[in-house]
Amino acid sequence: MIEFTPDGPFSEKADQLFPGRVRVIGLGQTGAAVCDQLVLHGRPSQDLWVFDSDQLTIEGSVVPKRYLLGHSLVHGLGCSGDIELAREIVALDEEQIAPAARGCDFLVLILGLAGSTGVALAERLIELAHGANAKVIVVGVQPFAFEGAARRARSIETIASLRAEADSVLVLAHDRIAENPATIKNIRHGFHMMHQLMAKVAQALSQIVCKRGLIQLSFADVRSLYGRYAGSEVLENCWAAHVEGDIHDRTEDLVAELLACPLLGDELIWKQIDHAIVAVSGSCDLELSEVQEMVQALKDRLPGDIPIATSASLDEESNERVRVTVLLATTAPARMSVPEIVAGFENPPAKKPRPSSKTAPISVTTEPAKPAPPVANRPAKKPKISPKPTAPPEPVSAPIAAPMAVTVESHSIAEEDLIPAIAIEPEETPTAVADTPPTPRASRRFLAKQEEMSFEAAPRGRFEKTHETMYRGENLDQPTYRRRGLKIQL
Amino acid sequence: MFWGKSRNIVVALEVGSTKVAAAVGEIRPDGTLALLGIGEAASGQVRKCEIVDFEVAQGCVRDALAEAEQKTDVVVAEVYLAISGAHIRSSNTRVTTLINNDGDEITPENLQELHDMATAQPLPTDHAIVHHLLQHYVLDDGSMTDNPIGLASKQLTAHFHQVYGMATRLQTTIRCVKELSIEVKNYALSSYATAQAVLSRNQKQLGAIVINLGGGVSDYIAYQKGAVVHTGVLGVGGDHLTNDIVSGLKIPYAKAELLKKNEGSVILDAAEADSCITLPGAYNFEERLIHRTSLNTIMQARQAEIFEIILEDLQNAPFWPDFAGTLYITGGASQVKGLVELASQVFPCPVELAHQSPFDGDQTYGRRPDLSTLLGLLQYARQAELELPSARGFARVGQSLRRALASMRLI
Repeated sequence: MIEFTPDGPFSEKADQLFPGRVRVIGLGQTGAAVCDQLVLHGRPSQDLWVFDSDQLTIEGSVVPKRYLLGHSLVHGLGCSGDIELAREIVALDEEQIAPAARGCDFLVLILGLAGSTGVALAERLIELAHGANAKVIVVGVQPFAFEGAARRARSIETIASLRAEADSVLVLAHDRIAENPATIKNIRHGFHMMHQLMAKVAQALSQIVCKRGLIQLSFADVRSLYGRYAGSEVLENCWAAHVEGDIHDRTEDLVAELLACPLLGDELIWKQIDHAIVAVSGSCDLELSEVQEMVQALKDRLPGDIPIATSASLDEESNERVRVTVLLATTAPARMSVPEIVAGFENPPAKKPRPSSKTAPISVTTEPAKPAPPVANRPAKKPKISPKPTAPPEPVSAPIAAPMAVTVESHSIAEEDLIPAIAIEPEETPTAVADTPPTPRASRRFLAKQEEMSFEAAPRGRFEKTHETMYRGENLDQPTYRRRGLKIQL
Repeated sequence: MFWGKSRNIVVALEVGSTKVAAAVGEIRPDGTLALLGIGEAASGQVRKCEIVDFEVAQGCVRDALAEAEQKTDVVVAEVYLAISGAHIRSSNTRVTTLINNDGDEITPENLQELHDMATAQPLPTDHAIVHHLLQHYVLDDGSMTDNPIGLASKQLTAHFHQVYGMATRLQTTIRCVKELSIEVKNYALSSYATAQAVLSRNQKQLGAIVINLGGGVSDYIAYQKGAVVHTGVLGVGGDHLTNDIVSGLKIPYAKAELLKKNEGSVILDAAEADSCITLPGAYNFEERLIHRTSLNTIMQARQAEIFEIILEDLQNAPFWPDFAGTLYITGGASQVKGLVELASQVFPCPVELAHQSPFDGDQTYGRRPDLSTLLGLLQYARQAELELPSARGFARVGQSLRRALASMRLI
C-alpha cells in the first residue's frame, strides 16, 4: 500500500510553524453584534467570546461562548453608560472574565468606544492578557456625531486609555458611513454595515497574525501600523474595505468593488493614509500570481505611492471564493489635522436645560494653515436646517461630519427619523465647490442633528407579544409598506 | 373506539399559527399509507409557530386531537410533531474518519462512527438538534456515494445537514402535547415534512426548493442530488399580510383576513387601479369602500419582501450556483392571488404551485395546500415506522399496555 504524507499549507508541519492562537472577544453591544457577524458570515471555527452586562444583548447573540456579567448588580439591564458601574461589574465578575485572557497568543478585542461595559472590560482584559503573555489588538469604533457630545468625549478618553495599554488599537469612525444611502434610509443599516466591516477586520487580523499561507505577515506588521499612538492626538487611524468574489472574477472588478466600500467613499482620506495591509484568502486554487496581480491592480488604483504589505492564505472552506480585506492606516500625526473626522465634541458643553428646536454653535477643530478639502463627490441634498453660525467662520478640518450646529428637539418615533440629518446650504452646488478653493463659510456646510430616540418601538399589532423578527436591522413585524414609505390611500 | 394489534396507526400533529391539525393514518401491511381523517381547531395564542399562551394553545391541541379521534374512531396515544419557528437554524457539516479495516473496506460500524461524530458536533448554547440529515459520503478519491458499505477507501467523509433550534422553545411545544398524556414519538422540521408530501424522489434528485408559506412563518427547504442542502425559517407569514392590511386600511383583523382571501392580490394590476371594494357593514362596523390598489400595494410589498429575503438566503448558500431545479410553493398563504407571478418575478428559476403526492384513504383533504405539512409528516411517520424494528414479546405487551392506559388518559 502506498502511503502518502500530507504536505503543504494544511499539513501538521505547517501547523507547528505557525502556532499562534487568536481569540476574538466581543465586548458590549457592538462587540456582540460584530461577533454575531463572524459566526453568521465568517469562520464558525474561530474562538469567539462575548461579554456584556445587558441580558438582551447576550440572549440575542449567536456566539456559543457568551457571558452575562454583573447580573447581581444591574439585573441584566446594562450599565447605561456608567463607566464606574461597569468597572464595579468587572471587578465583581473577574473570575468569569479571567479565562478569556488565558490560553491564547493574540487577543482581538472588539468594542464600541463610547460604551461603558465594553470599555471597562477591555481595560481589565488587556491587563490580564499581558499578564498571560498574550498580545492585544483592539478594534474600536467611534460613535456617530449625532449620538452626542458626551459619547464623543467618552470615546476620546477611551482611545487614549486603550492606546496606553494595548499593543495595537484600530479606530474606525461611524461617521464615515453617515452619508451612505443605506444609512440615510435607516440608521440600523449603518450600524449593521459597520458591524459587518468590523467582523471582516477581525477576520483579517486573525489571518495576518496566525494563519499560515502563501505570503505571511505577522503581528509586528499590525503593530507597526496601529501601535504607534499613545494618546488621542489622532483618533481615527484605520479604514477598512472588504470584497468577496469568485476566484475567476476579473481582478479589476474586485478591486473596483473594494474601493467602492463605504469607508473609502471620501477621496480626502487618501491624504491621510500612508500604509496599507491587504489580506487575501482563497481556496486551494488561489495562486501566488493571482495574488500579485490583485495587489498590483490595487496599487495602480491607489493614489500616491502607498506601501502595501500583503498576506495571502489558503482557506479549506473557501469554495472557489476569494476574500480580500484592505486595512489602511495612518502613521504620521503631523498630517492628521487636515482630513481627520472631528465632530466638534472634544469639549463637551456643560450640562444645561435643553432648548427646544434651537440650534447651538459647536466649536470646530480648525487648521488655518490648510484649506478645507473639496467635496465634489458629495451628493447634493435639500437643506433641512440652515442655521447662521454665531461663531466667526473658520476653515473646517472635517470632511464628513463636522457639524457646526446641533439641533436638539423632541421628535416622533418613526424609524427614518432616527437617521442623522446632514444639512447642506442650498446656494452651494458640489461642482462650484470643487472648482474653487473653499471659503471658510463654504467649508462649514454640514450639520449633525441630534434626535431624541424614543424608548417605545412602533406598534407591531398582532405580534406585540412575540419575539421580534429582525432582518438587517429592520423589524419585519412592522408593516412593509410603512418601512418602505409607500403611500396608502384610505 | 378501535385500536388493535393488527392496525399500525400513525398520527401527525401540527401546532400552527392559524390552526392546530392532527392527521390520522394507517400503515397497511404492504407499507402503503391510508389517511383516515383529520381533526382541526382554530389556533389561539400561537404566533410565528411559537406558543404565546400555553393553556390556550393546549386547549386547541386537545380540541384538534378530539376531533381527529371522533372522525377516525382511533385513540391517539402518540403523535409525530411538526416543528417550526424563527429560532430554527441549520448548517452543513462534514465529519471524516480513517478506515482501518482489512483492505480498507467500509463497514456499517464506520458509518455509525461518522454519525456519532456528527451528533457530537457542538451547537450554540441552549440549542438542541432537530435533524441530522445525511447528504452523501465522499471517498478518498473524491467520489460521492449514498451507500459506501463494501467499498474501499483510506478515509471516509460524511456530509450532513444539521437542523437545530432553541431547546426551550422546542420543549414548550412538546410539553404542550405531552401534558395531554400524548406521547411525542418523534418530531420533524415542518419544511422537511412538507417536502415529503409534495416532492417525488425524482424531483429531489433533479433539484427542488419548497417554500411553505404558513400563517406565522415561511419555511423553505432545498434539495439537490436527492439530499437536503439548505433549510430556513423566516418568521414572517400570511398573518403578517393580514396585520399589514389591518394597519394600513384601519379595519378589524377578521375583516382584513377575509379581504385578503377573497379580494387581495400580490400583483398590482393597472386595469384595477381605480376600482374599489365594498366592505359590508356590521352592527359595530360602518360600510367602507376600500381602494383595491391600496390593498394590493400592502400585500405586494409584504409578499415581495418575504420572497426577496428568502432569495437572498438561498443565494448565499453554497448550492445556489449549481441549482437548476424548480421552486415549488405551498402552504395556506400560497392561496393568495398572483403569488406564482410574483414569485416568478423574484426568483430566477421556474416557479410552480406544489401538488401533493396522491395517497390512499380519505380524499377530502387532497387539494388543500395548508395541509401539506401535515400530510408530509404522515409520510415521514410512515417511513420512520417502517425503519423501526417492530416490538416483540414483552416489548409488544408493554406497548399495548401503554396504549391501553393512554386511551384511559391514565399516563
